[in-house]
Amino acid sequence: MLKVQLRSMLVTSLRDKITLFYSLLLPIVLMFGLAIYIDKPEQQLRIICGITAISTVFWGMQGIAFQVHWQRSRGVYKLLKLTPMPLMQFIAVMIVARTVIGVAMNWSIWLIGMLSFGMKLTAWSIGLTLLVIVIGTICFTSIGFVIANAARNEAQINMLSNLLQMPMIFMSSAFYSLNGAPDWVAFVGRLLPFEHYTNLISTMQSAGSSISILSLIVLVLYIMIAILIASITFRWDTNQLMLKSSTA
Amino acid sequence: MYIEAKALVKQFGLRTIVNNMDVSIQANEIIAIIGPNGAGKSTMLEMLIGLQKPSSGTIWYWDSGFKGKIGVQLQAVPFFPALSAMENLLLFASFYKKSISKEEAMNCLEICGIQDAAHTEAVKLSGGQQKRLAIAVAIMHEPTLIFLDEPTAALDPRNRQDIHNLMLELQQQGKTIVFTSHDMDEVHQLATRVLVIDHGKIIAAGEPAELCNKYDAASLTQLYMKLTREDESYA
Repeated sequence: MLKVQLRSMLVTSLRDKITLFYSLLLPIVLMFGLAIYIDKPEQQLRIICGITAISTVFWGMQGIAFQVHWQRSRGVYKLLKLTPMPLMQFIAVMIVARTVIGVAMNWSIWLIGMLSFGMKLTAWSIGLTLLVIVIGTICFTSIGFVIANAARNEAQINMLSNLLQMPMIFMSSAFYSLNGAPDWVAFVGRLLPFEHYTNLISTMQSAGSSISILSLIVLVLYIMIAILIASITFRWDTNQLMLKSSTA
Repeated sequence: MYIEAKALVKQFGLRTIVNNMDVSIQANEIIAIIGPNGAGKSTMLEMLIGLQKPSSGTIWYWDSGFKGKIGVQLQAVPFFPALSAMENLLLFASFYKKSISKEEAMNCLEICGIQDAAHTEAVKLSGGQQKRLAIAVAIMHEPTLIFLDEPTAALDPRNRQDIHNLMLELQQQGKTIVFTSHDMDEVHQLATRVLVIDHGKIIAAGEPAELCNKYDAASLTQLYMKLTREDESYA
């Protein structure tokens, strides 16, 4: 039965063409578009890692938020409530399915970038990047769940996602150095998960490099907090108020 | 007895939608719940199936694991986008912890007359087909008790007749059905017991013929007009 659920969630996600476009095709095009104008390998590496991170964010946050919203507004969760299926199991299956696809896509984007621009690949960097992408995808998918609960419609999903994504991306050192930026920009950036995610991906690229424990802890903390908020604020249907008992 | 609800009350703010209702559901009945729009039919149904919590009152179920033994078709037909009718059916079966094969799922779609649409995306089906699929979802796990909220609303006469035949067939198989409807001919044809609800209260209950005799009405339509008109004159 779990197999049927996992398969169905995988199929639902893979048939979501718009999200696939934003999370797979657009990042690849963007990566090549930016990288061909840059000769310096370290800058190209920064772009590859930054684009991989952006793809993770788009897939995780907007993707899951829209999926949850569609299912909720069509009354799927209302019907789910009438079945013996525990809600947490369903949410877990959905997160696993999206994580599997997200990781496959983001890892492919990173690999395509690394191979196309002649970057050195080691078993160490390939393995650790995969691990970091798994953690990052779970992190941003969990945040996406919170957005899905907070938003009442598609427009609000876009608004809330942008509200979180824009500062995360622009206050990070994903594409440029923040050395010349005001202290507060770097400080706020370090409070957000994107900076730590890009930091982890980019530091994985040299053999023997040590993983940043702090960045890892920040991502895990975000996962835990987001899952907690998502379960508290979960709504069975669009009319139900957030933070009201789910049985009401 | 499957369900016994006593003194059910449901309030939304200051509005009382269901006001002190007693309802019991016996085995092998087809119970029709009728009443004007906003009378409290769907709210009562949603409380009985566990979708809404009563503000006060108690509901007793025959089995602690009743969730897996009831089938529900809601007014809004909810399906997973991007999945076909068949895929939706298989997925919902898994929610009921039931593993069904594709052949069994196809058989269920065939019973509901939508086998041709098995591989069409569920959300792209016509209104009638979606209604049939919702009924297929409600019956595919072979529930003992089936709740249908306006199962024939907005269907053409042929689709309507097919659903009627299906409901009678399910009753012959020993299932109990509770449904809401605005079609009095349908209620007369199918129901073994009728509950007339208005302003959140059950204002009449009994077998269709018995009710018509009691209120001196030639048909259920007349009975409905009479009871709801009389009720309104009290307001």
